[in-house]
Amino acid sequence: MSDGHGGTARRVVVTGLGPVSSIGTGVTDFLDGLRAGRSGARPMELFDTKGFEYSNGCEVADFDPTRWQREVATEDVGRATQFALAAARLATADAGLSAEDLASARTLIAVGTTDGEAHELDRIVEHEVGRPVADSPETMARRVPVGTLSAAVAQEFNLAQAETITIATACAAGNYAIGYGLDAIRLGEADIALCGGADAVCRKTFAGFYRLGTIAPEVCQPFDADRKGILTGEGGGILVLEALDSALARGARIHAEVLGYGLNCDAHHPVAPFQDRIADCVRLALADAGVKPGEVDLISAHGTGTAANDVTESSAIRDVYGKEMPRTVSMKSMLGHSMGAASALGAIGCALAIEHGFIPPTINHETTDPECAVDCVPNHSVTADLRVVQNNGLAFGGNNSVVILGRYES
Amino acid sequence: MSSPARTPVIRSWSAISTLGIGPEAHRSGLLTRALPEPDPTDAFAAEHGGSAAVIPSFPVRTLLGKKGTRSLDRVTALAVATVGGLVTGDPTDAAPFDADAPVAERGLVLGTTTGSAQSMMDFTRSTFDGEKPFFVDPAKFPNTVMNCAAGRAAIWFQLRGPNATVGGGRVAGLHALNYSRRLLLTGRAETVLCGAAEEHSPARADLRALTDPGDTTRLGEGCAVVEVGGPEGGPGLAEILGVRFGMARRPEDAREVLADCVRRTLHDTRVAAEDVWAHLPSRSGGTESEAVTGVLGTDFRTHTCDDLLGDTSAAAAMFAVVAALVHAAEDDSAAGRIALITAIDPTGAVGCALLRPLPAP
Repeated sequence: MSDGHGGTARRVVVTGLGPVSSIGTGVTDFLDGLRAGRSGARPMELFDTKGFEYSNGCEVADFDPTRWQREVATEDVGRATQFALAAARLATADAGLSAEDLASARTLIAVGTTDGEAHELDRIVEHEVGRPVADSPETMARRVPVGTLSAAVAQEFNLAQAETITIATACAAGNYAIGYGLDAIRLGEADIALCGGADAVCRKTFAGFYRLGTIAPEVCQPFDADRKGILTGEGGGILVLEALDSALARGARIHAEVLGYGLNCDAHHPVAPFQDRIADCVRLALADAGVKPGEVDLISAHGTGTAANDVTESSAIRDVYGKEMPRTVSMKSMLGHSMGAASALGAIGCALAIEHGFIPPTINHETTDPECAVDCVPNHSVTADLRVVQNNGLAFGGNNSVVILGRYES
Repeated sequence: MSSPARTPVIRSWSAISTLGIGPEAHRSGLLTRALPEPDPTDAFAAEHGGSAAVIPSFPVRTLLGKKGTRSLDRVTALAVATVGGLVTGDPTDAAPFDADAPVAERGLVLGTTTGSAQSMMDFTRSTFDGEKPFFVDPAKFPNTVMNCAAGRAAIWFQLRGPNATVGGGRVAGLHALNYSRRLLLTGRAETVLCGAAEEHSPARADLRALTDPGDTTRLGEGCAVVEVGGPEGGPGLAEILGVRFGMARRPEDAREVLADCVRRTLHDTRVAAEDVWAHLPSRSGGTESEAVTGVLGTDFRTHTCDDLLGDTSAAAAMFAVVAALVHAAEDDSAAGRIALITAIDPTGAVGCALLRPLPAP
């Protein structure tokens, strides 16, 4: 492993991808899902949906944590942490990194999340109100602290010197984590960063979005005139970020380069997005990446499929790009809104799109809303030569983060 | 590592705790080690003051103004009020700023354990209480997301710079410090408000009783925020020399993992063991002190604050940072030497920070 202290000009590349999602787990399966325009929507089963008039979501069906966890006992951690662990195992295997490699490098682990293990808090409440719950309150309570999402990854690989941080910036948290990994490596303070996000569906968040009228009854239709909202989803996405010198020294396969990112805050409204500040965030990311708007070939939108998000976000994109807007897709049409995992899975999708020369589609699309008139690559993926791709993450609290990935060119 | 010329500096701080509201109350409480009497007219203090180290009086509507305060939960109000004390310069005035406030480009980084467990669990409980599971209060929904406090504080004071919420329990304050430091070193922000907040609540007490039934420490609450900037902003209170972390696989490994973390930090920042002026543990009388003694011997001061403030969890390490600033200003032997802040979280995460107190201008 390199121990270079390269300073601020250090280039950072993606050498490992670990997706755990409702449309596929692992690079091969996830890539197939994106190419095929697979839908993760199905009736949710992880919590009692009785009393809700509709309850489709994008759960990771048949997830088996014992396939991935070798060191951390599965009963010690909640479902979101299990996703983070599975994603980290997948990503490090994809990168060809062993636990010893990680231990001998300066490794940062940054996991973003919206709800952490709120699912366990839900279940403690269920226990309180006298409903049957499989685990004891003591067991569930131990899983709750949000720091566990990143701490458990270090414990799984036995990394006593790792820096582990859980970033709880809601639905932009995956991009925040990628940006934090990028900065730590650029500053010469880390050589390898396992970063991304994880979340599990939970009753609290479903009920909240449902009450706000933002849950779609059947499917998620971003940018469609008839869009009805989000589908709550879940999953995990971890990317291995690595200093270029480290990746080259060990002959690693490079999926893409992290060109830059931007982050800012709306300071405007607790839940509604704010066009001007989203546009500013895109500009910050492009400047950090040293990329002009005309050089961007594809945007992976936050694209939740709510009335407000899609108009506001596409308007912000237009503010930056003018009439020459790049094709703008929403992977949430397939994955649902996997919350803290969303922009991490989006970034993984972007890296695969660059590497394999295609654009993932926006499925469930019938008629584009003239108020968010983007070319969303409806329903079917297309081949495309992609050099620079932008991945958006927007969140409650006005937390915006935009990541720019590029094709690696030596 | 960064050159010394770029070492970020803590310029000012504020705090709200069981010692009172604002830096004067907090400083005098730390130095005299006297706790103020709870205000009998404060309903929360009257209810919980007997069992926990709560804020003696926290009149939210007086501090923050009447508009928009009804839906704030306690941890959010704590964060808004503490950040407000710092940006207005008056701890009793946290009224909202207009859109073109002078603090617009400042960043805000806030540490947490799990946001507000009370808000999250109350919201879930309301899905079981009503005729329909979705008969919940939509105004309370944002409180159930962990970045609520940082997002609300940004709205309150028009802070449009980088805004992050970092989870890490007792180590969260050190993560906030390091996150802020990196925002400055990468040029993403010129000034960052960096803090950590924890509320007392029945839900939090219940959770601790489940996870640590043997822990009888008084629970505490509060928020501490420091303003961090580059050295070009003029003299400050202390330089942030370095922040490092580690991870223990088992609780019994925490002492050695923290000791290793301290050794690495001293080495990387080129600080000699004898240059350490004081150790400020996030939790006194236990593993943190053993770990530090193992590395440094005993020739340094120890300043504790959790014995006054109670177990403030996510806020504990940031309160230790503030204690370093307070005690250094009172101690001639601190100048030019180093304060060591440490923290261990029940998850196994450990961290430490080295600060160099600066002489008063």
